[in-house]
Amino acid sequence: MTRVRVTAPRTAALPANDTREAAQESEVGQVFVRSLIRSQLWLALVVAGGFLLVLCAFGLLAAVPGLADARVAGIPFDWLLLGAGIYPVIGLSASLYIRTAARNEAKYRDLAEDQ
Amino acid sequence: MNPAVGVAALAVVSLATAGIGFYGLRISRTTGDFYVASRTVPPWWNASAIGGEYLSAASFLGVAGLILLSGTDALWFPVGYTAGYLMLLLFVAAPLRRSGAYTIPDFTEARLNSRAVRRVTSLVVVAVGWLYVVPQLHGAALTIRITTGLPSWVGSVAVVVVVCLTVVAGGMRSITFVQAFQYWLKLTALAVPAVFIAFVLTGNGTPSVAQASTNPTGLAPAGPYQNISLLVALLFGTLGLPHVLVRFYTNPDGHSARRTTLIVLGLLSVFYLFPTVYGLLGRIFAPELARSGQADAIVLLLPGQLLGGAAGDLLSALVAGGAFAAFLSTTSGLVVSLAGVISQDVLGGSVRGFRLAAVTSAVVPLGFALMTDSQALAGSVGLVFAFTASTVCPVLLLGIWWRGLTDVGAISGMVTGGLLCGGAMIFGAAVGAAHTPFWLAQPAAWTVPAAFAVMVIVSLATKGRVPGTMPRIMTRLHTPERPLVTER
Repeated sequence: MTRVRVTAPRTAALPANDTREAAQESEVGQVFVRSLIRSQLWLALVVAGGFLLVLCAFGLLAAVPGLADARVAGIPFDWLLLGAGIYPVIGLSASLYIRTAARNEAKYRDLAEDQ
Repeated sequence: MNPAVGVAALAVVSLATAGIGFYGLRISRTTGDFYVASRTVPPWWNASAIGGEYLSAASFLGVAGLILLSGTDALWFPVGYTAGYLMLLLFVAAPLRRSGAYTIPDFTEARLNSRAVRRVTSLVVVAVGWLYVVPQLHGAALTIRITTGLPSWVGSVAVVVVVCLTVVAGGMRSITFVQAFQYWLKLTALAVPAVFIAFVLTGNGTPSVAQASTNPTGLAPAGPYQNISLLVALLFGTLGLPHVLVRFYTNPDGHSARRTTLIVLGLLSVFYLFPTVYGLLGRIFAPELARSGQADAIVLLLPGQLLGGAAGDLLSALVAGGAFAAFLSTTSGLVVSLAGVISQDVLGGSVRGFRLAAVTSAVVPLGFALMTDSQALAGSVGLVFAFTASTVCPVLLLGIWWRGLTDVGAISGMVTGGLLCGGAMIFGAAVGAAHTPFWLAQPAAWTVPAAFAVMVIVSLATKGRVPGTMPRIMTRLHTPERPLVTER
């Protein structure tokens, strides 16, 4: 096997032609793209906002004086809440987002193909 | 602990890392392999690798140390480190993968069609990378000192040597294997001793020394401003870290980039349970560690302190090995991504240039690390996140989601964020932690909005400069790939 010296193109980011983009350069195509971007951004903002609200709620709940002293299986409640309880919320938000984002893309694909 | 056991553990981890690196060399052949592993890494491998690379000295040692010092206030650190990945998933993962760029400067240049933006981004990325390597080397120095009794500098130098050898030998392909291995090593090294200690302590009814809520040092707790500012830094900083981003290019398409991120979130959630356990155990059973100024070493010291004997020695060795894996993996991830940037911008993108750049990107921060003293590890990493959140994050988020971003806007925003946050960091380092006002010690809450605001306002004022390629690139970022993916 011969060894060749390989070099990276300086702007690796943009190979000249892409069928995906060529099909979308029409005005109608751009309308679809804009609406896809809008719905994905809206989705991301809603999930992020919802997660931050839950996070704030957890923070406030952990600061409630009576609750902080309670114990679950010997572990202080506020530690349990912030140290373990928040992670399922993160996972749930993520999987919810992924499913909806894929659905948005499928919807876009159907529209773009009918065109 | 027994120095011989510590030396053996560190040697095994270093050899295993180098071994997997050399094994990777055999299948690494093209420039594509070197930079992004030809985008053929399966999701589980890739997710483990992302986790392995992300979990740094701060996560492995620093988080437990901070929890020991500040209790539940410090629990925002692991939460923020994990939630940062959620933000990355929501706003960046798929579009960035679809951009087809290798590095962040590639992305900004393509998006804004400007060489100047590329140069500024490169500078910022290199600054972030170097700033982030320094605490890793401090962590290595600490670990070597605690576990073997050798002088601190040996640890920093050892990490740099192993990383340079691995990266120069194999590039990203072997790095992916190394990183994936190191995630599982780190998890085991932290989990096994934690479970063992908890089991023994609760089993034989060891009396607790203090309440978990008792503050062991009597230092003032952080106020709401610090907690919020920290969360801003961690949530928005993660999505700008160069070594995190480069990983997303190794997914075959945008959808799999999202799936990989979901797995990463699971891996991180499991991992971060354990620093919390160490912190909690330390607060209850060994609060004197906090008073002796050794908080960052709690993970290393706790097994020996609470168990003692051969079991304590063995578990300490395991933890030390895991800690070393943490420094190695994060440092090599950073070095690879920095080398990618430096070699493409300065050295023309050849494999030889990549190797030269890799050595440069490891040796410069080594100099910084040897000249400076380590502060609290999690705290200094938190500042790097603040810097990233004020510079790279705005240009990525606005570049991906806002059509109106211009080159002038991007540059002014990055410069503003960099100067404000960098200034706060330099000021804090110059006057010392005790004399730094709280809003300068934790600057993200105002530097991040300032960077975003400047970027938007200047872009609006230079509307005419929106590049003509913008609609095409936005289409590329957000539309699903063809051929139709296997979903449905």
